[in-house]
Amino acid sequence: MSPTALLKLERVEIGFAEALLPPIDLTIEPGDSLGILGPNGAGKSTLLNTLLGLMAPLSGRLSFPSGRRPRIGYVPQAHRPDPAFPLSAFEVVLMGRYPQVGVGRFSTARDKELARGQLDAVGLADESHRHFGSLSGGQRQRVMLARALVADPELLVLDEPTSEMDPAAEHALLSLVSRLGTNRGAAIVFVTHEVSAAAGFARTVALANRTQHYFEVGSPDAMLTHKKLSLLYGRSVGVQREHGHTLVWINGEVSDSEGGSPSTQETP
Amino acid sequence: MNETISFWDAAFLWKEPMAAALLAAALCGYLGVFVVLRRIAFVSAALSQVSGLGIAVAFWVGSFFNVSPHQPSIPLYLEPLTYALLFAALASLLLGVPGHVKRVSPESLVALGYVAAGGLVILVLSSARIAQEAHEVGDLLFGTAVAVKREHLITLAVVAAGVGVLHLFLFKDFMFTSFDPLSARAMGFPVRGLDAALHLSIGISVAVATRAIGALPVFAFLVLPAGAALLHVHRLRLVIVLSLAFALVAAGLGYYLSFIWRLPTGPTMVAVAAVAWLPPLVRALFGKTRL
Repeated sequence: MSPTALLKLERVEIGFAEALLPPIDLTIEPGDSLGILGPNGAGKSTLLNTLLGLMAPLSGRLSFPSGRRPRIGYVPQAHRPDPAFPLSAFEVVLMGRYPQVGVGRFSTARDKELARGQLDAVGLADESHRHFGSLSGGQRQRVMLARALVADPELLVLDEPTSEMDPAAEHALLSLVSRLGTNRGAAIVFVTHEVSAAAGFARTVALANRTQHYFEVGSPDAMLTHKKLSLLYGRSVGVQREHGHTLVWINGEVSDSEGGSPSTQETP
Repeated sequence: MNETISFWDAAFLWKEPMAAALLAAALCGYLGVFVVLRRIAFVSAALSQVSGLGIAVAFWVGSFFNVSPHQPSIPLYLEPLTYALLFAALASLLLGVPGHVKRVSPESLVALGYVAAGGLVILVLSSARIAQEAHEVGDLLFGTAVAVKREHLITLAVVAAGVGVLHLFLFKDFMFTSFDPLSARAMGFPVRGLDAALHLSIGISVAVATRAIGALPVFAFLVLPAGAALLHVHRLRLVIVLSLAFALVAAGLGYYLSFIWRLPTGPTMVAVAAVAWLPPLVRALFGKTRL
């Protein structure tokens, strides 16, 4: 075990009353990039909630080898925060500082400066005072990413952050996550439905399927294979690697990725 | 009331009720921003019913000690307001549970609280032990904006000051946990404790304000000014300022109009509060904006 590991799961079973997946062994270290893949209802969000400490494991041991819970930055699913709230993009980003500021204390000029800097880093400095609800879906998720990053996270967690985005916006956001997260040495854990996102941006891939009681972790090359993805989705999934691209197709749809640049296209 | 007496000449009559109405309006107008944003409008109606149940139970318990709630000095453990606050505090904590319940919709739990409390009030009041007092319970249960006792005004002022101090320090935290509770929890924020504190401040405010000026205006002040403010502006500070302004105007102007036109005070305040909704409603009717 690395002494610098942020989080360690040993024979952890997750779920509400009964275990959704087989016992999980997983270690997350600084700089890791873990993509969790699986169909709807696979147990991905339950696994994420357990990693975040929002749910207690049914059995096994979840520990923080550094002796404390890592600072966490969290990007929720795109539809989660209510855009009706009368908050500006800046006010939303500033919320990322609140765990450090503390309950009952006031944000300082330094917190505000960091929030402005982070908005700038995600390319939204000019939208700082715009109503959060009036931003596009992609811009809102960039605001959420800025909020997660301003917390100076050791662990950056993203729960299906691109689920309502078009491929270009998805690519832009994940590139940003990869660049900004990696620059800080933060570990990144993201849940996704997109095989291309996992292939392009994860250094480790976890496959989860509650129905098959299946969970496995490994490198993208070892995990994103015809055999494993077919088992994961319960149907034949084709995988082909060409010139650094990973081509994945299910029922006529092709997903293409290369070193962090995923895109999707229809099969001719 | 003498027909020729002017509103200003009658200041001795309305000074305290007006102060109570303005105080309740300010308190509810501010808290209403959270109530509307968290989409828990009917929680305030349920809390009002539950605090009414507390008062009815105080009557019933008092009957065992031969104590009438109308007598000048009542021990604290039989004081109706004590029961109203306890019941409201407990209910506000329980009504905070829906966010953590998956199999029952939040609305169902709120409806359960509202209906069960309403039914129990009637059952308690129909008990033979307090039946002869039931006709007097209405005012104690739901207050009246026309005649406010000084002690109710003082209690309201103390509660408003307490809520003001609490929210001065926890405003940013309440806003974070209201806007995105899941992220707040994930980032290590004590969401349950903050939710409990917010619900408690709403519950106690509703109980005390209801006792002072009545259930209908309290419910209206919690929902209408904040809702209208959110339709007019998109800046948080402006929403709060506008909500407070709408609520204060509704209370003050409503009271004045009810006096000069001899209308029931509570409903007049509600009608004035609803006026702030007209411009956005009209604009929406003509397709100029979306509600």
